[in-house]
Amino acid sequence: MNSEAIFEKINGEIKDKILEAAIAAPRRISVKVERGQLLAVLAYLKDQLQFTHLATISGVDLGENFEVIYHLSNDTTTILLRILTPRAEPKIPSVCQVIPGAILYERELQDMFGLLVENIPDPRRLLLCDDWPQGQYPLRKDWKFNRPAEIIPGGK
Amino acid sequence: MEFKVSLGPQHPALHEAVSLRMTLEGEIIRDADLKLGYSHRGIEKLAEERTFTQNIYLTERICGICSHSHTTCFVQGVEQLMELIPARRGLYIRTLIAELERVHSHLLWLGVAGQEAGFESFFMYTWRDREVVMDILDWITGNRVHYAMNTFGGVRRDIDELQKKKILDSLDLLTKRTEYYLKIGANEPTFVGRLAGVGKLSREDAIALCAVGPTLRASGVPMDVRKDDPYAVYNEIPFEVCTADSCDVLGRAVVRVKELIQSYKMIEFLLKNLPDGPFKVKAPRKVKPNEVYSRYEAPRGENVHYIKSNGSDKPERLKVRAPTLANYTATIKMLKNGFIADIPLIFAAIDPCICCAERLVQLDNPRSGESKVLSFSQLRTMANDHYKKVNLLKKEAVWPF
Repeated sequence: MNSEAIFEKINGEIKDKILEAAIAAPRRISVKVERGQLLAVLAYLKDQLQFTHLATISGVDLGENFEVIYHLSNDTTTILLRILTPRAEPKIPSVCQVIPGAILYERELQDMFGLLVENIPDPRRLLLCDDWPQGQYPLRKDWKFNRPAEIIPGGK
Repeated sequence: MEFKVSLGPQHPALHEAVSLRMTLEGEIIRDADLKLGYSHRGIEKLAEERTFTQNIYLTERICGICSHSHTTCFVQGVEQLMELIPARRGLYIRTLIAELERVHSHLLWLGVAGQEAGFESFFMYTWRDREVVMDILDWITGNRVHYAMNTFGGVRRDIDELQKKKILDSLDLLTKRTEYYLKIGANEPTFVGRLAGVGKLSREDAIALCAVGPTLRASGVPMDVRKDDPYAVYNEIPFEVCTADSCDVLGRAVVRVKELIQSYKMIEFLLKNLPDGPFKVKAPRKVKPNEVYSRYEAPRGENVHYIKSNGSDKPERLKVRAPTLANYTATIKMLKNGFIADIPLIFAAIDPCICCAERLVQLDNPRSGESKVLSFSQLRTMANDHYKKVNLLKKEAVWPF
């Protein structure tokens, strides 16, 4: 099934669950959904259209909102499934019950953007070091790196 | 009685240094856990403060072995954002370097696998041949590791007739030697016996855990970005996607050897059909606000870059997912219910970007409860000694070609 056929199917069968869908480039379909419909759409794409491969989850800081993009691939097409989550309440549902391979990417999102992934099977830190201060999320646009003054133990 | 064993974190200078923590019951691994981030360098944040051209050289430094993979993935994405059609000769040279890189990476892996399995002469042979490829890369790009060949609109250096001839001559040698290794592999029951049945990953698990590259293909899933989502000139080159059904380390070795032979054929095709004309076109400096999702089949699997531009000369967001990260979840699955002696082999089988680290392992003796620290090489010797003593039925396994 090529991208056009997949696009037709998405627009026909789950039109009520998605906000908008478009063919962004050859072999790339962009689909916007509500936060609450994410799991249902993901399960549909996985079971009906064989989008079993989740390449990664990207977070983008848009200011007021965070955009979270799930990059799903099958053998012909890649879908960029996107949701918005407000900065004031940055919560997203965990997709591990549908795609178990998503766990590392969700942990990375928690570290880097401070998103709260609900029902995540393993909420520990992934990339940041153990003594990283709470509430510091490096990939947010307002986060700037200030190199701390170097203290030499025993020095003056 | 359960014991916790930690492996790593290792050499801080290596990309993707990783700490494995395992729960053992005797010699069997019941649970495994990964701790990452020991060499996290904040490249995604850094990329937001660099121009697109500077970012080519930044992405090159993500990995030392698939340096060309990351730049190609980035460059072809930004070319789409710029709406730029790269020069055809440039694309052919880009693909040529990509395949040469795959050859050197797979030869490196074969050597590592041979060494982990206790077949040290195999390691010496493949690494000797890898030097042939490294010399070619050095000769046509000027560098052994960071080739710095990619630029927006094509490549930075052309190749001439003499270089073409030298590559074709070396290719004959490499093809002969790879076929010789196939013969050795088929007639070497200890090597097959050591690899067969180790690190099982079923087809269903490989798909569910989103594994990529030879790890996925060795579980019988024919996913290859070069075929599924052709980039550069892969839609013009004849090649086959190599798979294996054995779902173990032997299958992963088979897939890589088969891919080597495919790569030799592709390099020959690329050189014989190299089009004339310019090898690069001029690229604009600024990029319109847009986004692109670029995929690339690196030697270790699917490499992914998501680039968002905002109209300036710097990206708004660059998301990179290297193939090793995608294979970590599957590695934990492979380690579970395996032997501690198989850890080096299973972990090496996903071809992580860590290959020459001298790792430390703390071992607890289940009988006396005493602890001792072993180096990675001692652990390997222990593993090999263990398998010399065990009478394995699988020694009768056949090399599945």
